[in-house]
Amino acid sequence: MKIQHLDALNDIRETGLNKLLHSGPRIGVGMGTCGIGNGAHAVYEALKEALQKRGLDAYLGPVGCFGYCAVEPLVNVYLPGQPLVIFSEVKPEDAEYLVEELAAGRMPTRKALCRIEEWDFLTGEVTFGHGLPDIPRWDELPFFRGQKKIVLRNCGLINPEDLEEYIAIGGYFGLWQALNMPSTDEIIEEVKKSKLRGRGGAGYPTGVKWSLLQKAKADRKYMVCNADEGDPGAYMNRNEIESDPHMLLEGMMIGAYATGATEGIVYLRAEYPLAVQRLEKAVAACREAGLLGEGILGTEFAFNLQLVEGAGAFVCGEETAMVASLEGKAGRPQPRPPYPAESGLWGKPTNINNVETWCNVPVILARGGAWFAEVGTRNSAGTKVFSLVGKVQNTGLVELPLGTPLKDIVYGIGGGSPDGKRIKAIQTGGPSGGCIPALHFDTPVDYEALAELGAIMGSGGMVVMDEDNCMVDVARYFLEFTHSESCGKCIPCRVGLDESVRLLRKICDGEADMSDVEKLEELMPMIRDMSLCGLGQTAPNPVLTTLRYFRDEYDEHIRTRRCKAGVCENLYLSPCENSCPLNMRIPGYLQLIKEDRLEDAAEMIWLDNPLPASTGRICQHPCENRCRRADEDEAVNMREVHRYVADMAFESDLQRRVRERLMKGKLPETHKRVAVVGAGPSGLTAAFYLTMLGHNVMVFEEREEAGGMLRYSLPEYRLPRQVLMEELAVLEHIGVNITYRQRLGSGLSLDSLTEEYDAVFLATGTWNETQAGITGEDAPDVWHAIDFLEQVARNHPPPLGERVVVIGGGNAAVDSARTAIRLGASVTIAYRRERRDMPAIAEEVREAEEEGAELIFLSSPQRVVLDERGRVTGIELRRTKLGDFDASGRRTPVSTNEFFTLPCDAIIMAVGEKPEPDPMRRAGIQIRKNFTVVVDGITYETNVKGVHAGGDLVTGASNVSATMSTGKAAARAMDRILMGEDRMDRILKTFTYQNVAPREPEGGERNTSPVRKPGERKDNFDEVMLGLVAETALQESRRCLRCDVKQQCASRAPETEGALS
Amino acid sequence: MKESIKLTINEQALTAKPGQTILDVAWANDIDIPRLCYLKGLSGVGACRLCMVEVRGVPRLLAACVARVTDGMEVITDSPKLKSYRKMVLELLLAERNHICAFCVASGNCELQDLAQSLGVTHVRYPYRFPNFKVDASHDRFVHDPNRCVLCTRCLRTCEEIEGARTWNVRGRGIHSVMITDLNQPWGESPTCTTCGKCVQACPTGALVEKGRATGEMTRTGNLLPKLTSMRESGR
Amino acid sequence: MIQVENTPLTPEQVDEVIDRFPGETGDVLSILEELQEKHPLKYLPRETLEYVADRKGLSPSRVYSVATFYSFFNLEPQGRHSVMICRGTACHTRGSNLLMSGVLAEAGGGAPDEDGSYTTPDHQLTVRTVACFGQCALAPVVGVNHEIYGRISDMKLRRIVRELIQKEKQHEDSTS
Repeated sequence: MKIQHLDALNDIRETGLNKLLHSGPRIGVGMGTCGIGNGAHAVYEALKEALQKRGLDAYLGPVGCFGYCAVEPLVNVYLPGQPLVIFSEVKPEDAEYLVEELAAGRMPTRKALCRIEEWDFLTGEVTFGHGLPDIPRWDELPFFRGQKKIVLRNCGLINPEDLEEYIAIGGYFGLWQALNMPSTDEIIEEVKKSKLRGRGGAGYPTGVKWSLLQKAKADRKYMVCNADEGDPGAYMNRNEIESDPHMLLEGMMIGAYATGATEGIVYLRAEYPLAVQRLEKAVAACREAGLLGEGILGTEFAFNLQLVEGAGAFVCGEETAMVASLEGKAGRPQPRPPYPAESGLWGKPTNINNVETWCNVPVILARGGAWFAEVGTRNSAGTKVFSLVGKVQNTGLVELPLGTPLKDIVYGIGGGSPDGKRIKAIQTGGPSGGCIPALHFDTPVDYEALAELGAIMGSGGMVVMDEDNCMVDVARYFLEFTHSESCGKCIPCRVGLDESVRLLRKICDGEADMSDVEKLEELMPMIRDMSLCGLGQTAPNPVLTTLRYFRDEYDEHIRTRRCKAGVCENLYLSPCENSCPLNMRIPGYLQLIKEDRLEDAAEMIWLDNPLPASTGRICQHPCENRCRRADEDEAVNMREVHRYVADMAFESDLQRRVRERLMKGKLPETHKRVAVVGAGPSGLTAAFYLTMLGHNVMVFEEREEAGGMLRYSLPEYRLPRQVLMEELAVLEHIGVNITYRQRLGSGLSLDSLTEEYDAVFLATGTWNETQAGITGEDAPDVWHAIDFLEQVARNHPPPLGERVVVIGGGNAAVDSARTAIRLGASVTIAYRRERRDMPAIAEEVREAEEEGAELIFLSSPQRVVLDERGRVTGIELRRTKLGDFDASGRRTPVSTNEFFTLPCDAIIMAVGEKPEPDPMRRAGIQIRKNFTVVVDGITYETNVKGVHAGGDLVTGASNVSATMSTGKAAARAMDRILMGEDRMDRILKTFTYQNVAPREPEGGERNTSPVRKPGERKDNFDEVMLGLVAETALQESRRCLRCDVKQQCASRAPETEGALS
Repeated sequence: MKESIKLTINEQALTAKPGQTILDVAWANDIDIPRLCYLKGLSGVGACRLCMVEVRGVPRLLAACVARVTDGMEVITDSPKLKSYRKMVLELLLAERNHICAFCVASGNCELQDLAQSLGVTHVRYPYRFPNFKVDASHDRFVHDPNRCVLCTRCLRTCEEIEGARTWNVRGRGIHSVMITDLNQPWGESPTCTTCGKCVQACPTGALVEKGRATGEMTRTGNLLPKLTSMRESGR
Repeated sequence: MIQVENTPLTPEQVDEVIDRFPGETGDVLSILEELQEKHPLKYLPRETLEYVADRKGLSPSRVYSVATFYSFFNLEPQGRHSVMICRGTACHTRGSNLLMSGVLAEAGGGAPDEDGSYTTPDHQLTVRTVACFGQCALAPVVGVNHEIYGRISDMKLRRIVRELIQKEKQHEDSTS
């Protein structure tokens, strides 16, 4: 039936509203592609069956996607008089429960995500009902907080295949209004007033574009919708069409009427079959209802619309290429001018706008341009839909007013990293956009601000990247994309990108030198300025932004031939080896254990890590974070396997044989003398490798025993002293000399060292506790964690009293707390942020709690409460609340006016450690504000020639394996400088073993060390983790998937094509 | 419309007719702008990007072969930036396929060679790709050697716009683009080719040559421009 | 080995499609898309291109140009089963680059062509990358015979491919 007048439209509105506010229950299943990909079809069928079985008279239909893709399938349920409730992660087996509850007249509660009481569809409002306060309101969820749904106003709430429902919420009334305006000029005026800009990326003012077409004189004008969403990583247009095709059609009709166009074309990606199908249905429904064709809504207006499926060419997003494609040619762009508004499809005036641009139009008509312009910023009005994907917890489609800061999107809506990793950058705008580093997450998202950073808004793709993403690889990835999508017409793009890709591959393969980066830097501006179309002109952006913000990663690939992120395959053995700061050849020793070659395994372990027993206990095991076995069940327990091997050695003759092998592997005497200052893990590591390389090494240690923090700060229940002694014995055996009670600055001077030795390595650590700066901090019962732990390690535990408060959230805080418990105190740890922000190892925190430690969060120390004799009676804390996100993605604690006092007898302050500045200053070594020493990132050389530095002294307080890795890297660099060549690989003996990756996971579940029970451990310093045994260590080794065994075939297309066939 | 347009090219005051391109005007005034895909008498495609020029007040560079002159325009054709960009473009082009002149029949009569000389490209900093395409010598009179091709599409345009045979087109895209005849079949078997030879005359390099020529022997008909124009006027 | 059915579409089949697109705008793409879909081996044989050119009054070189410009069109027979690996940004950042080599290894270790596509010699399986499924929230994503698998890992995908190949072998054994 054709709609000819307003009454008919109103009648349909009533019918539609009766569907939306059904007299019985209404169930809508989110059936966008992502919902279906998550199993929405099965849910729909299960609901249908359950309804039939129960004989319940309910409306069941598909709806679009509500945007929260991470928790699909979404199902919304309406019961008359009650709010609409959205359920998440619904499974077919939930159908029966849902239907049973509805049959009983109750709103189900299980899996309820949020409720909607009333909804402003902008073209109309609907009140569902009130109540159900236990279910959060939709905009109370972090994912939706701050979102403003203009484009997505109907998505996920109405049936996209039902024209009546679209009309029910005010659809096509905007068209009616437009058709009844006194002149088409006024429609264009309204669009101009709205300040709407093209949502395809370039941001050209829509109203201006329309008036160009309106003024063009021709017998035929075309109105084209660009739905060729080609940006990999962006899918908002797909969802907009799948969820609400009519808003696009209505927008196009209004635009066509305003400009005098009679032919409409939607150029849609063939990769989106569901969008094609929904749009086809919508077009058919419009034809039937007289909304397309002749005499639309009873007026003179005639408009036809046709769907054309693209065939996979990104460049067709460029308007002249799209025109060529529509004319049945290869999609090669033409120089502009002439612009399509002058001469477009078949030489006729043509207007091309992106899907999302069109979707805004009905709202502008319904609410007025002025209303629209109020949303967003002055130059960037309205909202933008973003697809927030990559390394965030909450992935999905979000619609935000323009001007929203990036950090609110990444950390607020996105919820930050899903697994606690460091978020490094966000990529906006796809292949034409750029990578914005976390440092700039304060930036508001609008056209201009993003452009200033070298990125673009583009179609709204936002891909969050974390520490596991290599930015050189990202640049290579995007350039490979644009390279493969280049039409080949102009030389800068065709050959320039080919050369750029070759250079980037060279860098990623570890075969580049600095001149390659220079070539790249020279090519990029040329390609940008000289290319014919937008594809080539913007293709350099990913390279330019990564060069601008992540230059260090390019340097790393070239100078050290490593890819820390573990992406560039040629530059690492396996993900575990790569994440290990010491680059232990983990798959190797696991395989050797499998082959029952314990001695080989032990030698390999020692060569890679001279403190395998200690690190086997206390390392933060970054290896496990990247273990691919975790995709199957759990990561391989690599740390405890090398601990097992080392422990085995100490208990048997193996130790002697390993020592002998190490001695045999030592390079001949070089007669070079090297001084190492500090016998902590970093200094000892450097000393080990320098000794193995044939140098004569002397270690100067301030204290009376070696080990540094391992000896004087780590409690014995984590690292028994005996274990450390055994490790030191191995080092001494191979020839590391240590002299004690030698303090730099008092007796030992750097000048004399540089005179006497060929090279010096400084690794004096961070032994100064940071002051919290509160009154009473100097009182006798207030301890600094480092001092306290050292006293205990020296067997002089200070008297603490009964109640102890530990301030801080790092490992020193937790170590102090657990030590204090063992000394008989009851302990409270107060931390100014939240649990998830604690830098301490999670297992340690858990074990501390098991032992009785109490944790309080969001509290910062204010003042120490003292009695008249100057003794501690308590600590006053100030409640904090979480404020804005900082550069680390954590919310900054902000003080409140709420104070409280914890009574206690002693306080341990563990708020951070830093190096002692004076010895460095006196020696003329350049230091930073936080007293750490400035060194070259690769050679670890300080500003004083021949003097290198490493460990915590350089990095600030870190962890054992990280600090050792600086010693290892510095040893390599020092040797290279001393000997004129890189000789490290000569001592890192290679082993041959079987190289076969298991086709199916082996070894069963993860094996872990037995742990002594809290009751047995909390009153003594005996070791808590008992270690693996032969059988479990072998089983664990078998669990390795051998990611180091690379596939034989070439996974990359050949660089050039062969002979003409 | 105004009868004449006033503009400057490299600060030289000039007059032009409406509808003329920057290249037309430069040419008429003996100002040399490098070009490769452009051929008078054929539609402009702006593909080689060698004729890019700076125009004051325009944030982007413009292709002189297609950009029309406007009144008051101030054009710069030889800034240091343009020179360095053009050199890079030419170097890339030379590295793309096989442009070793010593073995080329068109040597001495090659626009690419001339350009390299006039732009001062003495060595190429990028590695040569040498893609090793098969030479198509199936035609009685002509040879198509894709290894020498610069993808300027002059052959395509000549064949389509002047001869009307539409034998030539481009296969594939990006770096994999190759000129083809008909359904990517040997030229000699082409059902559409009229053997008129205009494409061979239009080719700026040794990609399309007459058979039986030795190195350096392939000459083109003196001034192609009047010939093509007369062909167009007399022909289709 | 199963005999691959590889005959060009009949003129009647081609006519039927061409007749459904009498318009001008977008017809060439639509016709080629439908014809490829109609072919059991999902490709456009040379004869078909020739016929389309003839019927539409286009030069053969133009039709060939179009058929080789768009990545959607295949000029070579495809495998009966398809594994499509998304090369979108979200999938890439979640490690999709590893998936291709795994599947290729399972399929006998060939190398992909310039479009990143590989078909086994027996036409049982085609592996290829696709620009982006727009399923980024489920990254990494693959499509196996047009069924979407989200949050896939190398080992899981290899398992799926192995089963596919095995099933095909069994089918072969039982029919031969």
